[in-house]
Amino acid sequence: MLDWLTEPFSQGIMQRALLEIVVLGVVGGALGCWIVLAELSYGAESLAHGMFPGLVAAALAGIPLALGGAAGIVVAALAVALAGRIPGIGGDNGVAVVVTTLFGLGALLALSPDVPPGIQGLLFGDILGTSGGDLLLGAALAAVVVAALRLLHWRLLAVGFDRASARSVGASPLLADAALLVLLAIAVLVAVQGLGNLLVVAVLVAPAAAARLLFRRLLPMMAAAVAIAVVAGLAGLYLSYYAKVAAGAAVAGLMVAAYLLARAGAAVAGRPLRA
Amino acid sequence: MLDAFDYPFVQRALVEVLLLSVAAGTLGTWIVVRGLAFYAHGVAAAAFPGLVLADGLGFSATLGAFGVALLFALTVGQLAARARGGHDSLTALTLVAALAIGIVLASDVFHSGANVETLLFGSLLAVDAGDVRLAALVAALALLATWALGQRWLAVGFDPAAARGLGARSPLPDLVLLALIALAAVATLSAVGALLSTALLVVPAATVRMVTRRMLPWQAATVALAAAEGTAGLWLSFETNAPPGATIAVVAGGLFALVALGRGAHTMYTRTRGVAA
Amino acid sequence: MSELAPLVAADGLAVGYGAAPVLSAVAFDLRPGERIGVLGPNGGGKTTLFRALLGELKPLAGTLQLAARCGTVPQTERSRLDFPVSALDVALMGAIAGRPWWRHPGRAERRAARAALDRVGLAELADRSFGELSGGQRQRVLVARALVQDARIVLLDEPFTGLDALSIRRLEELLDELAREGRGVLIATHDVEQARAWDRVLCLNRRQIAFGPPAQTLTLDVLAATYGGSIVTLPAVAGGAEGERLALLPPHHHDHEH
Repeated sequence: MLDWLTEPFSQGIMQRALLEIVVLGVVGGALGCWIVLAELSYGAESLAHGMFPGLVAAALAGIPLALGGAAGIVVAALAVALAGRIPGIGGDNGVAVVVTTLFGLGALLALSPDVPPGIQGLLFGDILGTSGGDLLLGAALAAVVVAALRLLHWRLLAVGFDRASARSVGASPLLADAALLVLLAIAVLVAVQGLGNLLVVAVLVAPAAAARLLFRRLLPMMAAAVAIAVVAGLAGLYLSYYAKVAAGAAVAGLMVAAYLLARAGAAVAGRPLRA
Repeated sequence: MLDAFDYPFVQRALVEVLLLSVAAGTLGTWIVVRGLAFYAHGVAAAAFPGLVLADGLGFSATLGAFGVALLFALTVGQLAARARGGHDSLTALTLVAALAIGIVLASDVFHSGANVETLLFGSLLAVDAGDVRLAALVAALALLATWALGQRWLAVGFDPAAARGLGARSPLPDLVLLALIALAAVATLSAVGALLSTALLVVPAATVRMVTRRMLPWQAATVALAAAEGTAGLWLSFETNAPPGATIAVVAGGLFALVALGRGAHTMYTRTRGVAA
Repeated sequence: MSELAPLVAADGLAVGYGAAPVLSAVAFDLRPGERIGVLGPNGGGKTTLFRALLGELKPLAGTLQLAARCGTVPQTERSRLDFPVSALDVALMGAIAGRPWWRHPGRAERRAARAALDRVGLAELADRSFGELSGGQRQRVLVARALVQDARIVLLDEPFTGLDALSIRRLEELLDELAREGRGVLIATHDVEQARAWDRVLCLNRRQIAFGPPAQTLTLDVLAATYGGSIVTLPAVAGGAEGERLALLPPHHHDHEH
């Protein structure tokens, strides 16, 4: 039995993939709680897709992905905000237009025939191709996200609780929004390695949404989200290894499955369902 | 330059695009008015695993796609169509789950000949007669339904609470609209893929909306614009070998940005001149 | 009444959400230790005034001077009742300002928050989830938050809505205490009779109708102008007060989209 559990992780590739899962889980679980609480799940998905051309452009130009990602998310956020203000268009339509266009642009750049092979990994993820360097960068970024969340905790709490009165207690909603945006960009950067831009939102939303159904205080919620993300990710690696399915999709799928399980469990236990 | 259109498969693609423009023009306006952009995107993305499953199991891909799309429409889609707040996580996760399942099915279970990328971003140049027939069907249904139910759809879109009071209480017209959008989304799968359906169904309608508000001119102009953008995207895709869905999305989005900028400039111009805008 | 410098001074103030003002010609002042009732119909500008006082809206015309930051007790329908915060957490939010941004509320702040909750009578419920509390208890937690902030000016937006008589009385006593401590208290309310007990009233209906002590200010004409004709006069009830009494028809709740 033990063999079955340890065999996949005898090789370096899988060991690094496992560590990447841990990094992913920490970032996704912790930040994910704030995203889910702020009801930004769909917004996060849109912004993640919106920053895709930034990532591709950076990869094609040979500059650090972080720069492309940062530029990408700023452009996406600005475009969404501007489009939403056009009279007659409105928020939802604006998001659809901007995200479809930007994502299409990214796909155009990424899937054109004479493009280096690694680019496709941005779309679907390449967790089994995680290098030591990727891991180090991911871990560093994860540390930044966790530290920032710790520092901003009370301000995020005040704004999330009651945006209108947050200013009166000294917490600026604009600052909180900007901070979440930056942290989201960093999280997408980290998660793109393992899951690809298509499925990134799975680690940001599913574990946190599951934890929210199970826990009512914020800190236990965040800890549970991280745990669920790591366990589901680990299970995804096993599934990928033994059933020979795409690793990124397996991890994403199992994280969503964890959410569905939590939802079923909460329904059975009679807890109020907060989607 | 235009010898692209000498090829029969390009001609077929052109017919497909033109037929889809009819659906895009008519249904697209309703999607924008009723705030159903997310629903349209969700239905298309949800159809993706259905398409792969049906294809792999050997029955009509369209049927499979439509089946799953309908499943989505009846469950999560209901939530998405009404108001997303409160079901925010669920709707986002449904999309991800659909994508993940579709990717696994396409890459590993069925080892589909169809590249995952063409399923996600379109394979307009490979459409067959069946796809064209579906597009024609959707175009005809869209026109018919707009003519028959347009007033009802407009009434509810304008003020849902009042519409109920006015006696427009039957949910049937709305269900027809949602079903038609699902069908149209499935029809666009072959052209622009599961992830970019809104490039045809929403972006042209939104672009024209910035210029006119009256339904009939809006719909007519959107059909024309979608046809133009689709054709341009098709041609570009042929010339550059890029995925057609992506080229159409970029063309449509670029035009939207241009019109938006033009509008903004016009508004600023009239304002600074002190002319009533 | 204290003759110290006013905490709030407005003159010719006009505020709005775009280019056009939704509230204009506002001129009043709030002195330390004073309770001012803000009266007016829905959409008449009470919330808009509070937003201006909180700094969310810049004046379109006129001046608005504040001697201190405002603490606010908003209607709790706007807060997220499903948010994972305890009563203590909410009270602790008052400790965010006035602290360098890298310093978290620590032990001293927690003690202050618990003391504030104790003052409002909620010491045992400090660790209860905010959303589980009753309407009156939620209002008191928010007052505790203002106490932790040590806000010199406290704004309360219709704090008595939906409360039972006992809770209303408790809250009124709390407000009196706040005033006695030298804070300035602005209360938006629909209850005209309640406002008569306070120091001054400010009547708003898209513009300032009147401002002054309730006895002189709350005339039939002023009330009619403020509420736009929703005033009815009821004949005396046998065995009750003599003469006629003014009654305010309950405001309609339209689904306005502001």
